[in-house]
Amino acid sequence: MPRQTAHEIDAAAAGWAARVDRGPLSGGDQDRLQAWLDSDVRCPGAYARMRGLALNTERARALGPAFDPSRFMPPGRPTRRAMLWTGGALAAGVAGVGVLGLGAFHRGQRFTTRKGEVQVVALGDGSVVTLNTASRIAVDFSHSRRDIALLGGEALFDVAKDRARPFVVTAGNTQVRAVGTSFTVRRLADSPVQILVREGVVEITQPRQAGARAVLAAANTVAVSRIDRPMVTAAAVAAPELNRQLAWRDGRIEFDGETLDQAAADFARYSDTRIVVDDQSLGREEISGLFQADDPVGFAQSVATSLNARAEVRDGEVSLTR
Amino acid sequence: MTMVSDERSLWLARNVLPHEQALRAWLQSRRLVGLDIDDIVQETYTRLISAESVAHIRNVKTYAFQTAYSVLMDHIRRSKIVSFSLVADMDVLGAAAEDPSPETQTADREELQRLGEAISALPIKVRAVFTLRRIDGLSQREVAKRLGISESTVEKHMSRGFLLLLGLFGRGGKGVATSSKALNPKLDRGHAKTDRP
Repeated sequence: MPRQTAHEIDAAAAGWAARVDRGPLSGGDQDRLQAWLDSDVRCPGAYARMRGLALNTERARALGPAFDPSRFMPPGRPTRRAMLWTGGALAAGVAGVGVLGLGAFHRGQRFTTRKGEVQVVALGDGSVVTLNTASRIAVDFSHSRRDIALLGGEALFDVAKDRARPFVVTAGNTQVRAVGTSFTVRRLADSPVQILVREGVVEITQPRQAGARAVLAAANTVAVSRIDRPMVTAAAVAAPELNRQLAWRDGRIEFDGETLDQAAADFARYSDTRIVVDDQSLGREEISGLFQADDPVGFAQSVATSLNARAEVRDGEVSLTR
Repeated sequence: MTMVSDERSLWLARNVLPHEQALRAWLQSRRLVGLDIDDIVQETYTRLISAESVAHIRNVKTYAFQTAYSVLMDHIRRSKIVSFSLVADMDVLGAAAEDPSPETQTADREELQRLGEAISALPIKVRAVFTLRRIDGLSQREVAKRLGISESTVEKHMSRGFLLLLGLFGRGGKGVATSSKALNPKLDRGHAKTDRP
């Protein structure tokens, strides 16, 4: 067996610490853990350190249910790790953003974006919807309600205040209700619905879910909700993370330690040119940086340079190998 | 076969981990060729977890530095690397390890503050899972239910959280994504010499 690197040992130790954190180990797992501990003189130390750290974080309970991550950000300290790459990836400039204007009433009108396209839709009530790549909405405004169905994809809603007419976004089984506020709703196949609240407060419900309760999500929170599962609570997001999540408005995509595999999957939302990563260890490399969402080739080339890999452009795909 | 007890692990996290950055800096300053700091540090922890008792240790920092030093010496003997700077280092070791580090005096409240900061700096999904598990005290299974994700995904996020926190606490916030590098890959003639058999 090739000698493990210290980093691989730490990663394995973290895996075991998380498994033990889940509950008592099965007999088989117990044996596997012991075999791993005995496999290298560094393993017991790495595991003990990680397990100790995991146990020590239990004191976080004392932070209390009102824990607000944004309060813990020391001023001026960058919260993201330094970007690995900049420059080239952005050279292509910001993708053109189209703007549509509409009258005061919309009954059953639909708006769609193609892959890689970002579209701003100005609604008659003063609200503005920004559609991300490959997204579809249906707008249905009446005198008493402003209804929008997110049929797929992702959109940012900047809602004009109108107390008499609540603004309700429906994404599958999840409803997000707002008065005057700004939030995104993301509805992708095989993923939970995600709501990111930028300003104000929204109320999230699952009307078809028996006993589903409403959840209020305030500014700087993200909520995740899933069809046929009970409602989800919200977690706070710091401002830099919020901006990162909204980078798509400028036709960009930003990573902060995601794996290359995940990054490739994210790019697939924006372009038909697939990024193929054949090498497993390469796929697990972590990516940070700001990139042009519609330029998977430029992204792959940056990655190749940075990770000492090869990017090969073929028909409809760019493959990364080591 | 080394047994790893929770009690000793926690002791390591509370008493040794706060000195790990200083230990790394000290090892780094040794300018050794062909040795990996991460390897030395992990093996140091292995010796500390294997020690019969830790009750007799009065100054943990000094003890940890001495342990690391003996790990280092073993490696040097095995690899037949002779470093002149190292031989003269025992005095430096005393000086580096003795000054009471600020971390040892860190009040509980400050430690909690640091932990809060560290959790805030986690990537969003990891943080959501970590918050529910550690601050709200849900089990991993309950976290999975609450977020509508699989238990194995929760486990993965926790694993990633631990690894990132180790980077913050053990290495001062950097180096999580970087793989281990050999100590001072360039031979520094002013400080070290290699003597191959």
